Amino acid sequence: MAEKKPVVGLSWQPQLAIQSMSKATYLPSHTKPQIEAPTSTLWKPNSELVNGLFVPPNDPRKVNKLLRQQVKDTLGKDWFDMPAQTITPELQRDWKLLKLRGVIDPKLHFKRSDSKNSKTLPKYFQMGTIVDSPVDYYTGRLTKRERKTSIAEEFLSDQTSAAYRKRKVREIEEQRKPGGNPNWKIQGKATRKRAKERRKF
Amino acid sequence: MGPPVRGRGGSGGGFRGGRGGDRGGRSFGGGRGGGRGGGRGTPFKSRGGGRGGPRGGGRGGPRGGGMKGGNKVIVEPHRHEGTFIAKGKEDALVTKNLVPGEAVYNEKRVTVQNEDGTKVEYRIWNPFRSKLAAAVLNGVDNIWMKPGSKVLYLGAASGTTVSHVSDIVGPTGVVYAVEFSHRSGRDLVNMAKKRTNVIPIIEDARHPAKYRMLVGMVDVIFSDVAQPDQARILGLNASYYLKAGGHFVISIKANCIDSTVPATVVFDNEVNKLKADQFKPIEQITLEPFERDHACVVGGYRVPKKKKDAE
Repeated sequence: MAEKKPVVGLSWQPQLAIQSMSKATYLPSHTKPQIEAPTSTLWKPNSELVNGLFVPPNDPRKVNKLLRQQVKDTLGKDWFDMPAQTITPELQRDWKLLKLRGVIDPKLHFKRSDSKNSKTLPKYFQMGTIVDSPVDYYTGRLTKRERKTSIAEEFLSDQTSAAYRKRKVREIEEQRKPGGNPNWKIQGKATRKRAKERRKF
Repeated sequence: MGPPVRGRGGSGGGFRGGRGGDRGGRSFGGGRGGGRGGGRGTPFKSRGGGRGGPRGGGRGGPRGGGMKGGNKVIVEPHRHEGTFIAKGKEDALVTKNLVPGEAVYNEKRVTVQNEDGTKVEYRIWNPFRSKLAAAVLNGVDNIWMKPGSKVLYLGAASGTTVSHVSDIVGPTGVVYAVEFSHRSGRDLVNMAKKRTNVIPIIEDARHPAKYRMLVGMVDVIFSDVAQPDQARILGLNASYYLKAGGHFVISIKANCIDSTVPATVVFDNEVNKLKADQFKPIEQITLEPFERDHACVVGGYRVPKKKKDAE
């Protein structure tokens, strides 16, 4: 392995003897190395690099595929390239709350949301925070302690809605409690009688 | 298919007009438009005390409610290009701020930290202060302004709505903002200093030839000049600057044109005047919960024949 590196190669390339390379040198030229590395766009085996550099594939289909993978998923220039979000459990929870916000407060009324399916999340959106300005009064901003990282947490820490929420939950629980003997149980959640409850998100 | 917005006139927050008590230091009475007393002397847009009079002073901001500083919101694209909705405990129309970190008229802002670490900022667009926002929230079909558009804005006043239009058209578009009053024009110029796509023009919109060296052909004309002859003003400007097949958006205040006849009659008369000027009105909506006796008319100008047959 004392042979010289090609001059055009990278000078900082680690001087390690890679197994596949060393094998290839020892094998006769007519036999190919058996180990075919899994092809990916990110990692290329050293043998496919030309002088240690990545050369894009010659096949236009492959090139197009590569390009498509590198284009960021955005909403396009009409909405200033709003990026697609990776859906995390927190975001899912926030969306759920947003869609059900009509029942959070008895005094707030909302127009119907435009999304037809309540269970699918939109692809393009962003989580933001309202900036407080020094101009607005104390009622116009939250204290440091009241600030939370998500809508769900804000909702949970809201003292004024908590009482209403608890009362409603108690009412619903009482309503659903099987009448008569307290030992009776609701038989199965998948029954036809329960279909209406299942549809509520 | 309007944007989902809090029930109108509900109690407990939302965009409320009136009750602007907590915004000190703004002179509403004579501050804008150079006073009402002038009559003919102030040909352009004298919105001194007339607007907002019955509401008891103050342009209402979104106060308190669900949009407090520090609250989390989800920003979603709106149906119209270049505009967004911020959803939280209540909804708000927002535009992407062209100059992050700056508020034009102390409006609330929303910052967003993207996944790749970049920061984006949105500004809340108050429909009680902007007729265009009111039209959007009332479900106008198309405002014809989108990123890259060139807009001629007649009656820019202090530039509050102009700043949002400049957000919508973005760095690739241009807004020519015409305002006659020097006093509110000063605010307009100060705003335009920070926004490179706004070209302020302190000139009378009745004489469009005076600013012909500044304005090129535009895609849309927005007119908010509450004047008796506003149809003529729009026609003049369109003949100079609006491209054939371009569009216009005009907000009509019934009281400013004729306060003796019902509002609907005034609107019909104005629409007929527009039709005589090669305008082709497409739709008319009222700005009702936000403004009283206002209508917004949207349409095309010198619509090509081919298109006309297809319709």
